[in-house]
Amino acid sequence: MTLLPASLPVLHLRCSFMSLPEVVEQLRKIAGRDAVLDRREDLMLYEYDAGIRKSMPGAVVFPQTTGQVSQIMRLASSVHLPVVARGAGTGLSGGAISQPGGIVIAFSRMNRVLEVDVENQRAVVQPGVVNLQLSEHVSHLGLYFAPDPSSQKACTIGGNVAENSGGPHTLMYGVTVNHVTGLEVVLPSGEIVHFGGKAAESCGYDMAGFFVGSEGTIGIATAITVKLLRKPEKVATLLAIFESVEDAGQTVSAITAAGITPAALEMLDGWTLRTIEAYCHAGYPLDAGAVLLIELDGLREAVEEQAEAVSAVCMQQKAREVRRAKTEEERALLWKGRKTAFGALGRVSPSYYTQDGVVPRSKIAATLQFIGEVSKKYDLIIGNIFHAGDGNMHPLILFDIRFPDQLERALAASEDILQYCIAVGGSITGEHGVGMEKRNLMPVLFTEQDLDVMVSLRNTFNRDNVLNPEKLFPTPRMCREISGPARNPVLTQEGM
Amino acid sequence: MSATATPTRFASELRSICGAEHVAESPTESIGVVASLLAVTPGSADEVAAILRFANEHRLNVVPAGGLTQQHTGHRPQQVDVLLYTSRLTQVEHYDPGDLTIGVGAGWTVGHLCAKVAADKLFFPGDPASPDRATIGGMLATGLYGPHRHGYGGLRDYCIGVRFVTGDGRKAKGGGRVVKNVAGYDMMKLLIGSWGTLGVITGASFKLFPAPRQTQTFVSCFATASEALEFRSRILRSPLDPICLELLSPRASALLTPGSPAAALWSVCLRAAGSDAVLARYRAELGSAVTHEIRTGNEEGFWHAVADFVPTVREQHPNSLLLSLMLPLANVAPVLDSAGAVAESAGLELSAIGRVGVGHLLIALWPAPNTGADSLNFVKAAAGLRGALPHDGCMTVLQCPEETRREVNPWAAIPTDVKSMRAVKSALDPNDVLNRGRFPL
Repeated sequence: MTLLPASLPVLHLRCSFMSLPEVVEQLRKIAGRDAVLDRREDLMLYEYDAGIRKSMPGAVVFPQTTGQVSQIMRLASSVHLPVVARGAGTGLSGGAISQPGGIVIAFSRMNRVLEVDVENQRAVVQPGVVNLQLSEHVSHLGLYFAPDPSSQKACTIGGNVAENSGGPHTLMYGVTVNHVTGLEVVLPSGEIVHFGGKAAESCGYDMAGFFVGSEGTIGIATAITVKLLRKPEKVATLLAIFESVEDAGQTVSAITAAGITPAALEMLDGWTLRTIEAYCHAGYPLDAGAVLLIELDGLREAVEEQAEAVSAVCMQQKAREVRRAKTEEERALLWKGRKTAFGALGRVSPSYYTQDGVVPRSKIAATLQFIGEVSKKYDLIIGNIFHAGDGNMHPLILFDIRFPDQLERALAASEDILQYCIAVGGSITGEHGVGMEKRNLMPVLFTEQDLDVMVSLRNTFNRDNVLNPEKLFPTPRMCREISGPARNPVLTQEGM
Repeated sequence: MSATATPTRFASELRSICGAEHVAESPTESIGVVASLLAVTPGSADEVAAILRFANEHRLNVVPAGGLTQQHTGHRPQQVDVLLYTSRLTQVEHYDPGDLTIGVGAGWTVGHLCAKVAADKLFFPGDPASPDRATIGGMLATGLYGPHRHGYGGLRDYCIGVRFVTGDGRKAKGGGRVVKNVAGYDMMKLLIGSWGTLGVITGASFKLFPAPRQTQTFVSCFATASEALEFRSRILRSPLDPICLELLSPRASALLTPGSPAAALWSVCLRAAGSDAVLARYRAELGSAVTHEIRTGNEEGFWHAVADFVPTVREQHPNSLLLSLMLPLANVAPVLDSAGAVAESAGLELSAIGRVGVGHLLIALWPAPNTGADSLNFVKAAAGLRGALPHDGCMTVLQCPEETRREVNPWAAIPTDVKSMRAVKSALDPNDVLNRGRFPL
């Protein structure tokens, strides 16, 4: 057998020097005159995501076809200009933020559902399709797309693929990777390749599975084959009310120990639910210490039994009361509260920082206690609204960004919490990705060699680190051979 | 490569890594007909890494080995310098029944893992053939699954972490111990089904499930495969949520459950879990389609027999062609039709089972009694079936008669871009030390 090539052939185009206006002109030739933004006032809309970091791109381009994405990648690779793919920019980890002066490929014009294949329980979508719109698109067929991030009204499936997004119902149904079977991908070389297809699994390496969650560092997905699930026959939504977060936390373990896997199991602490209630009147009790929002779905008989069993467990664990949504409207209202939480917080605090740590389910109560101590230590309000069923904590750290010391304290508090998650056997991200914000914590979770292996994979596809550089992996000082070559003629020329 | 000249010198190096008693020269095991020069049984991931670094220096071909249940699949390696056993990697890395997770060494057998968690009323859904021999590492590396694939998903859905050593000797991990975790690249996905060509898996973590309190198996029989598959589609459109949904051809029933009433017909076997009320609902929904029920007591034996289809065919029909196919759901019926036609024209008998609710089929073809099917018939049959696949269908040849090995490509259909796969291989095993020649790269 012949030896394998050292890596994919990446750069075919000559390495030419081009000024940013020249690059913009080329982008216009590729995607159309109205498909490129380069004026500062336009670019400002693309300098941030839903997290706290900002960085001004050099240009934003809106391709309409896979072929255009391929040409854009070839152009960017030839001039070593960093590229980041962007869906709706709802991410919290900086994954869709450009390097200063880089190119943003925005997918809002590649937003078509290409195919709905009912018999195979699949849809093929372009990356710019909004998550909830896919479920709405197939609703009349009795089908839906299971991953349901809180931002599902805005976030795109391309973004979900990049970050391997989750949501409340991932407890039973899994994160995005469990729902993607095939991909069309543009590699940094501009080459268009296919991974998997409509079959549930593919033989050969599971490149589609590997690609999901690679945070835009391997390639750009331009068509995504996803599973469509049949809507459950019956859904029961319960609201269990507790005097304390500790009791609610213990109940999460008790439900698991009782052999029940709810479709969703969410926790809101007292402070958070009062803030939400003032905003959207979801019907949460104002005097509770914490509530659990529990959803069961499936066969009618099974759901009824489980709803009773879960209620009984809650009452044994000192719940004050367990309410059940009687109508679809009541159910929608309970979820509205959960899913609009961030909007509610925006009313009471100028800024907030959301974390995404994961702990083993049995450590939830202890972790909440630790977060309480961190809140006191840094003198910051920290709300908790999170996916309790799978131990995915989302502490919301409130601060005012106009006061630099508050930002410092918020970042320090966040790091303390994530270090704690790692110490009890957990992780720094359950569904938001590492992005820019958590990459320097990666060496706490992974050894240098773990990261070295991952970086060698990135480099084999993204050798010049043109695609989403400075994401996912720590800065060079913290891990050797992390960054790509420091060549960037355009940015050097522009004085960036 | 000069391994043949100096196996003894290599043996002494390997002894210094993992102790004299764990290195054997000229072991009796072979990969197909290819004898191995050395067998080594490291006791830790560090020892695995040292062995692989040594193998890189000398360009040895290392074949990772668990229970040796799948070593005959794939291209036959031209030579095997080191057979690397994982049987000493048997530590429990973490286990908290309350968290429904477990992490174990790769050398554990699947049967051992199932028994351990069953003691805590938990369920591990991996159900490959020969669970008392198949190891965790081997199951992951070869992407094995059985009938519970229908209700619990595949390894890619419930393997939450992996520890491994890359082909070039780097000890690494992916994922972790918690059920939800997206930090870093998903190394589990790359290693599952990589056939030991990227790294040696040394340990893995899994999600566990509550053990069902009771189950019941409903069998429905049909005169033709297409009627059986139409019944499958009806179940998939219904609210029912079975944990197994298996198709058995008449010959498969006769082979696996001799004397069963299903042996003359195509049967769909549905296993449901739940309370009396839930099982009653199944009974009501399935109605008169149910021919008989398999009651608790006989149920486990039945499903083990189904899971053991491949070794049973190998044992009873050593002169057979055995294929594993993964297809989009809509292609199962036409491909099975084609398989019937291909078998008939080649003078072969067809036996098939599969997790048809997820698009999986196992097809066995053996000569009809009193016919002298020669190797050409098998080659024709394999090519005929390959031609019936959709562009995104997968087909792997698990076994073929020895004389057809040259003509039958074991990796008959792979829909994923091979150049990208090669790039992954070059990143993790640049010197092609692991399972050289086995995989289609």
